[in-house]
Amino acid sequence: MYDLIIIGSGPAGYVAAIRAGQVGLKTAIIEKNVIGGMCLNWGCIPSKSMMESVKLYQRIVKDSARFGIEGIDKKAVSFNWSKAIKRADTIVKRLTGGVEFLLKKNGVEIITGEAKIVSANSVLADNRLLETKNIIIATGSSSPKIQNSVEGLVVEPKKLFAEREIPQNIVVVGKTPVAIELAQLFSMMERNVTIVSDSSLIMPKADSYVRNFMSARLKKEKIDIVYNVSLTSTEGIWKDGILNLSGKEISCDIIINAGDRKGNIISSDIEIAKENGYIKVDEDCETSVKGIFAVGDVNGVSMFAHIGSAQGLHVINKLKGIETKLDISKLPMNMYTVPEAAQIGLTEDELKAGNYDYKVSEFPLSANGKAQTEGAAEGFVRILSDNKIGEVLGVQIVSQNATDMINEAAAYIQLESTVYDIAHTVHTHPTVSEVFMEAGFEAVDQAIHK
Amino acid sequence: MRYIFKFPDIGEGLEEGTIVEWHVEKGQSVKMGDSLVTMETDKVVTAIPSPRDGVIAAKFGKVGETVHVGSALVEIDMVGVEGEAAVAEVNKPEPVEEEGAGVVGTLEVAGNSAVLSASKEGVSSSSSDTNKAAKVLATPVARALARESGIDINSVKGTGPAGRVTKDDILRFVTDRSKPARTISSAAVSAPVSENLVEIEPLSQMRKTIARNMIQSKHNAAHMTVFEEVEISELDRIRKKYKEILSQNGIKLTYLAFIVKAVALSLKKFRALNAEIDMDRGNMIYKKYYNIGIAIDTPKGLVVPVIRNADKISVKEIASQIQEISDKARDGKLTLDEMKDGTFTITSYGSIGGLFAVPVINYPQAAILGVGRISKRPVVKDDAVVPGLVLPLSLSVDHRIADGGETARFVNSVMDYLADPVSIIMD
Repeated sequence: MYDLIIIGSGPAGYVAAIRAGQVGLKTAIIEKNVIGGMCLNWGCIPSKSMMESVKLYQRIVKDSARFGIEGIDKKAVSFNWSKAIKRADTIVKRLTGGVEFLLKKNGVEIITGEAKIVSANSVLADNRLLETKNIIIATGSSSPKIQNSVEGLVVEPKKLFAEREIPQNIVVVGKTPVAIELAQLFSMMERNVTIVSDSSLIMPKADSYVRNFMSARLKKEKIDIVYNVSLTSTEGIWKDGILNLSGKEISCDIIINAGDRKGNIISSDIEIAKENGYIKVDEDCETSVKGIFAVGDVNGVSMFAHIGSAQGLHVINKLKGIETKLDISKLPMNMYTVPEAAQIGLTEDELKAGNYDYKVSEFPLSANGKAQTEGAAEGFVRILSDNKIGEVLGVQIVSQNATDMINEAAAYIQLESTVYDIAHTVHTHPTVSEVFMEAGFEAVDQAIHK
Repeated sequence: MRYIFKFPDIGEGLEEGTIVEWHVEKGQSVKMGDSLVTMETDKVVTAIPSPRDGVIAAKFGKVGETVHVGSALVEIDMVGVEGEAAVAEVNKPEPVEEEGAGVVGTLEVAGNSAVLSASKEGVSSSSSDTNKAAKVLATPVARALARESGIDINSVKGTGPAGRVTKDDILRFVTDRSKPARTISSAAVSAPVSENLVEIEPLSQMRKTIARNMIQSKHNAAHMTVFEEVEISELDRIRKKYKEILSQNGIKLTYLAFIVKAVALSLKKFRALNAEIDMDRGNMIYKKYYNIGIAIDTPKGLVVPVIRNADKISVKEIASQIQEISDKARDGKLTLDEMKDGTFTITSYGSIGGLFAVPVINYPQAAILGVGRISKRPVVKDDAVVPGLVLPLSLSVDHRIADGGETARFVNSVMDYLADPVSIIMD
C-alpha cells in the first residue's frame, strides 16, 4: 500500500514526488515515456537551449563588429540546427538524470508504463495493481491535433527538436508566448514565419502594454500574424507549399502545432469530473474524487511549469496536514519571447475593470547603463501600485532577462510589499535590475535617472 | 537600531488625533523631550515629545491626516544602540504610554512565531494569544492597511507563512469588525426596525470619553450630595460695581469668578475636599495646590479646563482666565495642559437652568460644586421679609474621602465668603 501514487513525471509530478519522499510518504511515480515530461525533454529546456544558440548566432552576425570583434566572415557563419540540438540533448540528459537521481535518493519508486486509475485507491500500471491512499494526476497537456494527411507537414512541439532540418517557410499555429517564442526562434534563423492565431490577439494573458510592445516587435521582425483563423485541418487548403487561409496564400513547408493546449486526460474506471478539456479541481487541486488530485497543465489552471510544481508541493503539504495557501495571482508569468517578457499580479486591464485607484510607474531600459553595455536596452519595467498605501499590485517587465528579473517582483508580491519597500531596497550598480529601484522611486516620487 | 514611536494614548482616553504640524524633518537629530509633532484630538491640541534621542528616519502621516492611538508616528534611528541594548530599548515602556494602550507592531523585531521551521509553515499556532510585547510578523501592506484602518495589528490573527499577518487577514478583520453588534437595546428589539423611529449615530471620541469617565466616577466614588442656598445681594452689589470698571479692560466679571475664589479659599481650610484617595496603596493624597476645573458646555460636549492656583490669584485674574478658557473651549482650542491637574470642579448650570442637581464627581477628585440659577426671592433678614438674591448650591463629595461634618463645614465656608464677599480679601 502506497501513501501516494503520482502519474506523470513532469515538473508538477516529479517535484511533488521528491517532496513526498522527503516528508516520508511511501511514494511511486508512474511515467510512460521519460522522466522529466514535456518541460525537461521537449519543452522549456531544449527550447531555451536552442534559443541561446540562435541568439549567439544572431549576435555574431549582427553585433560582433559593433562590439569590436574583427575577423568574422559573416558569409562563412551559419547556424547548424542539428548540432545545436546535440547541445540541447546533452543538457536534457544531464537534467533528467539529475531528477531520476533525486527521486531515487528520496525513496520514490519509479514505475515505467501507462497508468490507469481503477478506483480512488488503486492504479493499474506495468501489469500491476497498485494500492494507494492518494493519487496525483500530473499527466500534462498537448495541443489538439491538426488534421493532416501530408507526411511531415504538421509537427508537434514534442517532435520539433527531433527534426533533422528546418525548411524555409514556417507557420506557427497558436497565440501563447510559446508560439511567439518559436516564431521568433525561426525568424532569427532567417526563416519566413507566419503566426496563425485563433483569436483577435496574441499572448491573451499578457498585459496589453506588453502585448502591444511585442506585436510591434514582431512586425519589425517581419513575422506575419494571421488573426481569427482556427486552423484545425490542412485538408484542401494546403498544396505544394502554399497554405490558403481564407483566400490569403502563405508559403508553408511546415506547420508547428503550438495551439492552446488541453489536458492529457488519463483513462479511469471511475468518473472524475472534467471541464473544458481539463480535469476539474478545487483550490487545493483536489478532483471530484476525494483523495485524487490533479496538478500542472492537466487541470487547466495554468500552463506554466513553475505553477505546476507549486501545485504539487501544495498537495503534499495538504496530505501532511500543513496548511498553506496557493494564490495563483501571486505567481509570476514568464514569456520567452525576444526580448523576454514577464509579469506578475494584476494587469492594467484588470485594474481598470476592477476600478482600482492605481498608478503606473515605468522605467525604460534605455536609461539603464548595464542594459546599454549589454546591447540590450530594449524594454521597460512597469510597477502598478495602489495610490493609497502604495501596495504593489502588478509588475511587468520586457527585457533580455525579464524571466529572471521577475522573481524580484515575485518576492515583492509574495511579501505584500509597497512601492516604498522597492524604493528602499538598494540595488547593486551597475545592473539591469536597478530599473526596479528607479520605478520604485518613480512610484514614490520621482526616478533619479529619468 | 531603529525605534518606531507610536502615537501614544495621552491619557484622556483618546483614540485618534489629527496631525496639525510637524516639528521635525527626516534626517533631523532629536533629543528626548523635543517636540516631534503637534496633534489635535477631540479634546486638545498638544505637542508630542520624542521619547528617545536619535535621528528621524521616517515620518508617518501628513498634516491633516488622522492617526490612531498606537499607530506609528515617527521612526527614530538610535545611533549606537545595538544588540541586547536594542532589545532592552524595544521593551522599555514609552514614557507617556498608558498601561494596556494599543500598540501596533511595527518594530523590526519578529515574534517567536517567526522562527518556526519551514516544515511547519503556516500552522495556526501563531495566534492572537501571543504576548503583545512580542512584535507580530506582518507584511508591509498589512501594516499600512492596519495603520490606515486604525487596527491594532497584534490583535489580528495571521494566516500567512509562519503566522504572518497578511492583507487578507486585515481585510477580514475590518469586515468582521464592521458587522453590526448582536446586542440591541430592549427598546429597539420591541419596536419594529424602521429608520424613522430611531437614528443610530456612531459615538464621537469625546462622547466615548465622557461616558467612560462618568461610569468610572459613579463606579468608584461614594457619592453624597448636600444642597444649600446662599443670599448674595452684597455680592451682586459689588459685582455690578466692578463689572463696569473691569469691562473697560475687556474683562467680564461673573459670579463664577467669586465662587471660584471662595471655593479655593475654603479648600485651603478643609483639605479633605481637595484630596484624592489611593485605595491600592492605602494612602490619602492631600493636594497643596488649588486648581479649580470649570465645566463648560460646548456644542461637541462637556470640557473641563482648569484655573490654576486659584487661591493665589485675584478675582479679577480669575474672571479674565474664565473668559479666556471659555472662548478656547467653544473654539475647540484648549490644550491638554489647560485641562489637566484639576483638584476640584465647579459646574455652573444655573445660567442655562436648574436650581439643584446631583453633580457627578470629576473622578478622582473629591468633590464637585453645582451652581444653580440665581433668583430673586423673599428672604428673612433681621426678622423681616425682604427681597433677596438666592444662589442654590449642590455639592457632591466622595464620601470615602470626606465625612458629612467636613463637607458641611466646607459648604458653610463657601457660603460665608459669598454672603460677605469682602471677607475674600480679608483671608
